Amino acid sequence: MAAGFVGFEITWRKDVFSDAPQAGSAEKFGTLGINFRARKAANEEVWAAAMAALSCEAPTQWSAEALAEKP
Amino acid sequence: MSDYLLENQELDVEVLREAIQEEYAEVAAKPQKGFHFHTGRPLVRLLGYADEWLENIPESSIESFAGTGNPFSLGELRPGERVLDVGCGAGMDSLIAANKIGPEGRVIGVDMTPSMLQKARRAAKETGLTNVEFREGYAEELPVADGWVDVVISNGVLNLMPDKSAALEEMSRVLKPGGRLQIGDILVQKAVPVSAKRKIELWTG
Repeated sequence: MAAGFVGFEITWRKDVFSDAPQAGSAEKFGTLGINFRARKAANEEVWAAAMAALSCEAPTQWSAEALAEKP
Repeated sequence: MSDYLLENQELDVEVLREAIQEEYAEVAAKPQKGFHFHTGRPLVRLLGYADEWLENIPESSIESFAGTGNPFSLGELRPGERVLDVGCGAGMDSLIAANKIGPEGRVIGVDMTPSMLQKARRAAKETGLTNVEFREGYAEELPVADGWVDVVISNGVLNLMPDKSAALEEMSRVLKPGGRLQIGDILVQKAVPVSAKRKIELWTG
């Protein structure tokens, strides 16, 4: 939203890395392919309304313990 | 590719860019080599692209496709629209977009890897499409005018940028008010430790 986008939505997610020709880090981090969309706010009023309606129930940061884990 | 573990240092953006360019130059030159990710027609099927979208797309463009999603599933591109493909690679998505928007529309594909751009330009010439062009540049400094774009598409690219905020702000700058983002990318389900973020090889592998 800091870049001025509203209506963010992830519409699809899937494991797109399994059985790739070479092993990589995707499995280690549970990496998934996703599709997402958003719109540039049409005007200041639309953006202000989206900001006012913003609520965040999911954690915004990983815990310090999780970040400290060795890869 | 060498390992660069930058202890007590910020990630070197230029080193990262070089590593990414090196990797994707290989995808351009040797698409059958085999990478940490799928490429080409097997990937296109995995991501749910419609067969008819590929009908006049040169095989040279398809074989080096390395996306992670399907921007076209997120909304229809309309005749006459202006589309920007950020990190266009060998041009497959750009050419699909060019077919969808018709002769009154316009597509610009931007990429930082010269050999990918060369493939994209050659493929565009082969199709005979005149509503698409390719420009060299970075997502964080798009070579596109303010407010020119109706739709930004990108596929498997945003995750490779160290400064994602800068890339998104650039996408916002070039979009018209109300313009659309339709992006394929990745997410991780497990925490990525700060130390891992400094490992260049984990960005591309």
